[in-house]
Amino acid sequence: MNRFIAVTQSKCIGCRTCEVACVLAHACDPSVEGLSRLTFMPRLTMIKTKEVSAAVTCHHCDDAPCANVCPNGAISYRHNSVQVDQDRCIGCKTCMLACPFGAMNVITVPATRAFAGVQMTVGVKARAHKCDLCVGHDGGPACVSVCPTKALQAVDRADMDLTLRQRQERAAYELAGKAAAL
Amino acid sequence: MEKHMTVCPYCGSGCKLNLLVENNKVVGAEPLNGVTNEGELCLKGYYGWDFINDTKILTPRLRHPMIRRKKGAEFEVVSWDEAIKFTASRLAEIKAKHGPDSIMLTGSSRGTGNESNFVMQKLARAVIGTNNVDCCARVCHGPSVSGLMVTLGNGAMSNSMVEIEDSKCILVFGYNAADSHPIVARRIVKAKEKGAQIIVCDPRRIETARIADLWLQLNNGSNMALVNAFANVLINEGLYNKDYVANFSEGFEEYKATVSKYTPEYVESITGLSAEMIREAMRMYAAAPSATILWGMGVTQWGQAVDVVKGLSSLAVLTGNLGRPNVGVGPVRGQNNVQGACDMGALPNVLPGYQSVIDAEARAKFAKAWGVPSLPDKIGMSITDVPHMAEEGKLKAFYCFGEDPAQTEPDLNLVRKAFEKLDLMIVQDIFMTKTAMFADVVLPATSWGEHDGVFSSADRGFQRFTKAVDAKGDVKHDWEIFGLMATALGYPMQYKDTKEIWDELRELCPLYYGATYEKMDGLGYVQWPCTTVESPGTQYLYEGNVFQRDGGKALLFASEWRPPLDKLDAEFPLVLCTVREVGHYSCRSMTGNCTALQTLADEPGYVTINPENAKALGIKDQQLVWVSSRRGKVIARANVTDRTNVGAVYMTYQWWIGACNELTIHHVDPISKTPEYKYSAVKVEAIADQLGAENFVQQEYAKLKGSLSKEGTRTPAYA
Repeated sequence: MNRFIAVTQSKCIGCRTCEVACVLAHACDPSVEGLSRLTFMPRLTMIKTKEVSAAVTCHHCDDAPCANVCPNGAISYRHNSVQVDQDRCIGCKTCMLACPFGAMNVITVPATRAFAGVQMTVGVKARAHKCDLCVGHDGGPACVSVCPTKALQAVDRADMDLTLRQRQERAAYELAGKAAAL
Repeated sequence: MEKHMTVCPYCGSGCKLNLLVENNKVVGAEPLNGVTNEGELCLKGYYGWDFINDTKILTPRLRHPMIRRKKGAEFEVVSWDEAIKFTASRLAEIKAKHGPDSIMLTGSSRGTGNESNFVMQKLARAVIGTNNVDCCARVCHGPSVSGLMVTLGNGAMSNSMVEIEDSKCILVFGYNAADSHPIVARRIVKAKEKGAQIIVCDPRRIETARIADLWLQLNNGSNMALVNAFANVLINEGLYNKDYVANFSEGFEEYKATVSKYTPEYVESITGLSAEMIREAMRMYAAAPSATILWGMGVTQWGQAVDVVKGLSSLAVLTGNLGRPNVGVGPVRGQNNVQGACDMGALPNVLPGYQSVIDAEARAKFAKAWGVPSLPDKIGMSITDVPHMAEEGKLKAFYCFGEDPAQTEPDLNLVRKAFEKLDLMIVQDIFMTKTAMFADVVLPATSWGEHDGVFSSADRGFQRFTKAVDAKGDVKHDWEIFGLMATALGYPMQYKDTKEIWDELRELCPLYYGATYEKMDGLGYVQWPCTTVESPGTQYLYEGNVFQRDGGKALLFASEWRPPLDKLDAEFPLVLCTVREVGHYSCRSMTGNCTALQTLADEPGYVTINPENAKALGIKDQQLVWVSSRRGKVIARANVTDRTNVGAVYMTYQWWIGACNELTIHHVDPISKTPEYKYSAVKVEAIADQLGAENFVQQEYAKLKGSLSKEGTRTPAYA
């Protein structure tokens, strides 16, 4: 089973600390000084409706529509998650259309190339932009570690098994209770 | 990398954190396991520190003292010697000519700390000789202090933030914890998980309303009617604690008579709530084994605010929800040290430690300690008196310390006129602010992160914070500046550090005597009253149901409901209510200079409006609109959301272009003198030329930023 970020919307207070943490965790320059409105593109988005406040992000589906439709094989399963190989991304946006959660975005960044020891900008490079579970960052997903109300949790197979077990036990107790009442 | 322990400079939650420092520059923040924050921080705590580094995103840090030699002259950078001499001679002249009460000083509820506030009021009382000192508590929780002082005998939160999560019922009244105190909101979320019932009284669908068991969407301006109806239900349905009322309270008969008319049916038309819902709320509140009331600006920023505070405290008394853990009354203080500024006597009626200025014995004690023959015995002016007192010529000099009234007071046009009338205006701040533009003297101070001290969190908790980096420029600690000013005025005053000031304070204030620097070391948290060196402090007040009033009983008190002052009509058909947003704080001089926070939200700011109102006005989400009242007109961006109730619009008060205080009314509570920020009649108009409007916003913003930047970055003539 792929790992993913579980969102408990009843705990979310809509503060957007997760969004900033996400951007900083993926920035070349991890200091806040590099932030700007134009380049602020978190991989999870705070959504507020009348009834819900929640950060919406990638589910790391086990049969991921984005991976299934990618014509260039840029999206694959690695580290128990759905990851994008940016070198292969052509910016066709099929993954964006396929994702039912709106968790996939396609963005462009300046493309650079080294020539004679000099970095040059050569047009733009497309990127399928989504949650990568902060693979390679110390301390796990940044959004999870900063959430002040613990509304975000990184969940893996073992966590899920524990939750299932608790629910099964509760269901069994409820059955027993009903039996006793008969 | 160095780590320096401090306390967050934003809301009153009192979160402990480390500032991370490299090469004398702050580069990050990490949470500490403080008593209130338990290893968590919110958006501002994590990302609200780079203003220290003088990012100049909004406005520059002040680096040099500046004076205007004459009214209307250009600012001139001068030495500290000259700035202090100039200011002191002007103050002395005004005092000699018009008396000490023609001078007013403010405390600062922000990053400066308790010690500076103590020294400021000492300068006012012992040196200048006036009780004209006040702080921004006036415009926020002043009514809570005034109201609770009368009904319970102590103006602070009765219980502690850590107890909230173990309360079985939380009544949230006019308080949006998610935006004002995320770390308190976290306690409410935890309480809910532990099985607490949550009742929310708020016209907006705030975050807490989403998880509430009952959401009472009352009409704007109906607080007193609803609180009276709550009391009416508790009494008429026999839900109140008769023994508790008989043993520990007084005034029941009169109270009962006042609320008798406020049946749930009677208030239906005022509040817009069904009688059944009001009854259900009180059945839930009264049945809970422990219940806490939390309130914020939705209760206090009204022309009728003190009365509502008294009414809320009476609900706690009626149900016996005081004097034990996990219950009580919680006016959750907004600014990180507004509790502290009050604790230090930055109020016109009390000396430090809430010792009354009309108490001759208290005055004599302070006068003796400070080596002056006497201290002023007349209650001073409040900060909301400044406009009309200046207008009437009774106020000649205003010494504004760490506040920005030209942004935060109601009816800004009135404020600006008042400032222009003054003979002398002194601004002591870390940033060039809109207020500083009016100043004759600008005194640059060290910022949070550049000095040591003690803050008081919202639940009376003293905590130490420490310096992380050296200040840049020719700046001084606030308490040093006040010391120099006092000395120049003929009263030598010199402290070597904040501990020396704190120890002087402890000796004078029995409430704080046991709160030593040593006890507050590291993550130490000392809640006053702490009267002995052995005492750990007091987590909840009124133990044994002994109240701090003469006779020891709580007072039950109700008042008739009064409608808000401003009137809606065909021209101005909508209510404007000013509110907070999580990413910005106070006048925004700090958060507006933080890269992350400014990235999330920038000018002109939002006006939130219900889809029904927006549709009728032809306004789409994110469009620029005009918002105007009988007092002014500003441009703002529409945020069309059904979290906002029909008939009202909401704006946050920190924007320069979308400055909602150009629109608000100067109408104050008769007792606390707190303005009615929550109710002004406005109209909202669509703008056809959106591109032109966007350009207008950018131009105006650039113009304002440019003018403040020009003044704030002046350099000495010799440089």
